[in-house]
Parts: sequence; C-alpha cells; structure tokens
Amino acid sequence: MDFDKELDARGLNCPLPILRTKKALTDMQSGQVLKIVATDPGSLKDFQAFSRQTGNELLSHAEANREFVFFMKRK
Amino acid sequence: MNEANPGALAPLVAGGAFLLAFIFGAVGNRTNFCTMGAVSDWVNMGSLDRMRMWLLAIAVAILGASGLHLAGVVDLSKSIYQTPNFTWLSYVVGGFLFGVGMTLGSGCGSKTLIRVGTGNLKSVVVYIFLGIAAYMTLRGLFGAFRVGVLEKATVTLPAGQDLPSLFATYLGLSRAVWMAILASVVAGALLVYVYASKSFRANFDHTLGGVVTGLVVVGGWYVSGHVGYVAEDPNTLQEAFVATNTGRMESFSFVAPLAFTLEYLMFWTDKSKIITYGIASALGVIAGSAAYALATRTFRWEGFRDAEDTAMHMLGGTLMGFGGITALGCTIGQGISGFSTLALGSILTFVFIVAGSAATMKWQYWRLGR
Repeated sequence: MDFDKELDARGLNCPLPILRTKKALTDMQSGQVLKIVATDPGSLKDFQAFSRQTGNELLSHAEANREFVFFMKRK
Repeated sequence: MNEANPGALAPLVAGGAFLLAFIFGAVGNRTNFCTMGAVSDWVNMGSLDRMRMWLLAIAVAILGASGLHLAGVVDLSKSIYQTPNFTWLSYVVGGFLFGVGMTLGSGCGSKTLIRVGTGNLKSVVVYIFLGIAAYMTLRGLFGAFRVGVLEKATVTLPAGQDLPSLFATYLGLSRAVWMAILASVVAGALLVYVYASKSFRANFDHTLGGVVTGLVVVGGWYVSGHVGYVAEDPNTLQEAFVATNTGRMESFSFVAPLAFTLEYLMFWTDKSKIITYGIASALGVIAGSAAYALATRTFRWEGFRDAEDTAMHMLGGTLMGFGGITALGCTIGQGISGFSTLALGSILTFVFIVAGSAATMKWQYWRLGR
C-alpha cells in the first residue's frame, strides 16, 4: 500500500505509539496515509479505538514477524 | 471469625489471594484493563470506555465491600484506608507522582505485572525499580522524607476518614445507615454513567474487565478480612489478619507487595518470612497473565527501544514506588480497594493519580513538537 509518511513505533509501549501517531497526523494533509510499525501487543486495540474516536480511517492492519503494521488515512 | 492456629490459615489466605490475582491477571490481559490506558484513551483520543471500565470496577467493589461490611462478614474500619489520620499532602503528592510514574513506566503496578506475564522485559525492570523505591519509601532514604515532611501535613479527624463515618459524625444517623445510603448512591451513579455509553455497552470485554476486577477486590476483602481474621492470636493475645504485611485487613494493591516480594527473595533463608497475601497476589497476576498469553499464543519478548526508553522506565518505576507508598496505594490499591471503603483519602488519591498521568501525557506530546 502506498503511503506518505512512516512512523517507527517499535519498542514503544502505550501511550507513546498513539501520541507519536497523533503528532505525525497533525503534520500531514487530509487524505494522506501514515504507515505505523509497532511492537506493543496492545497497539491493535489502541489504534482501532484511536481511529474510531478521531475519524482517521484505519485502512488496514497486519501482523508479521512480531510486528504490527498499520495504515491510517488522515481525515 | 476463626479460632484456628494462624499459621495454619496462612496458606489458605495466600492461596486465596493467588487465585483471585490469577483471575485478575488473565482477565486484565484479555480485556486490556489498564488504568493508565484509561487516562490515555481519554486525554489522547477522547474515549472514556476504559475509564468507564475502571469506574465499573469501583462501583462493583463499593457494593461488594459495603455488603460484606453491613452483613458483618468483614469490618472495613480494620483496613489501612479508614484511619482518622487524613494525610492529605501525602495523598496529593504521592498520587500525582504515581500518576507521572505509571505514564513513564508503561502502566501502573498491576499493568506492570500483567506485562511481565506477557514477556515484557521492560516491565521486569520497572518491577525491580518500583520494588526498591517502595522499600526505600517504607523503611529507607525516601521514608525519612515521607514521614518527616509529607506526613506532617495531617488532619486528625474525629472518626474514620470514610464518608459514612464523616457523615455520621457531622449529620447524625449511624455509620451503617450512611454506608448503605452512600454506597448505593455512589455506586448507582457510577453504574448509570458507565452504562449510559453505547460504545461501552457494545463491547462485552468492557463489562467483563470492570466486573471481574471489582469482584476480585471484594473477594480480596473476604479472604483477608474473614478467612484470615483471628479474633485472638494465641501468640500475641490480640486480633490478627493472618499473612498480611500491614497487620491490617488487606485487599489488592500493587506497590508494597512488589517490595515485599523482592524482600522475600532476598531473605529466603529467614524462616520468619512467609508468602503473604500481597506477595501471593503479585505472583498471581503474573501467572494469570502469562497463562492467558500462552494459551492465546500472544506471549512475546519485548525489550527497550533505546537509552531514553530505558531511563524513562527506570524513572517511572521509581516514582511509582515512592508515590504509591506515600499515597498508601496505587490505581488498584487506593483507586479500587481503598475507594471501595469510601475513604476520602482514596478518592483524593484517585483524582491526583489521574491528574499526574494526564499532565505527563501532555508533557510527552509537547516534547514531540519541540
């Protein structure tokens, strides 16, 4: 999937992946896509809730090699 | 009330604590119950669902604890939370610093144990720093500051600091009547607020996490305050709560027990040391969380990202150890167990833990923009 910016949240635990995502999205234009790579096991639930609450669409998520990869579109 | 030999009751008390904590660890892992996460969801994304889970646990614990007390099964005035000494500055400072620490350390004491069970090695470091700092605050360097400075700011109340006692003292009627009224009103208001949310109701895990956590705290009161209660210890001729570190009735709390677990390991050959309620509860949460993680194949090793990440977790653990002992408890100890006794200090600590955590998240976000 194409993306405009990538955020490395590997090794970080709550609340830092969400805080960094929030900050990254504020620096992007509406419609742009942010790729986030995280390792916190709780990140899937966190990003689902973040998407639901803020309106930034979670386009996809996948897990591979003990990493979670999210693609989120800036609202 | 037990007339049995206290020594014979100790394994029963520790075993009960372990079992309840095991359930809490497994359910906490499954439902993502996290008090720091509750603040994060609120502050960083405007979601109150996990905060409602915490409030649901408080409501269930209030109803259960009050019910046990009014039925004569336990006496909540025998807990550490309802003393007449209202150490307001300790609650404020300790609560705030605990809130800061749990945000820097990826979760409170209970979440640290849950994370240890899932393979998070960062939380093992937090555990050690939290335990050492807690011990230093109980009996060491930090303890001098706690007792010599913070605890000087104390208001001695005419009765216990729980709301029923205060209402009975100043407004008349009996403590029991006020307990029935206030428990119903406070818990009822919390339940109405919690279930008014459609998104909360839509996810069964929210109810599961809140109800089970609340019931575990109630079960904790029963184990320590009823099963472990001896009216007259044959050794001291005084009443005793078997296998407790405080000598008082206990429910779940995850600061001092982490220190006592380290102490137990370091004084292993000292035969006067036993596995207490608190030690068993800390081990139980780790075991329950690990069992769930292994059963669902979600166990994974996690380590530090870099030096800053390491430093923040070490600082977080230290602040939680100091703050948790100073405030007489953590998000579970004061935030649910203490709150369930309707103690004023517990409610104050709860507010300042949330404030400390929220302020730290604002600071973390500000740092990202520098």
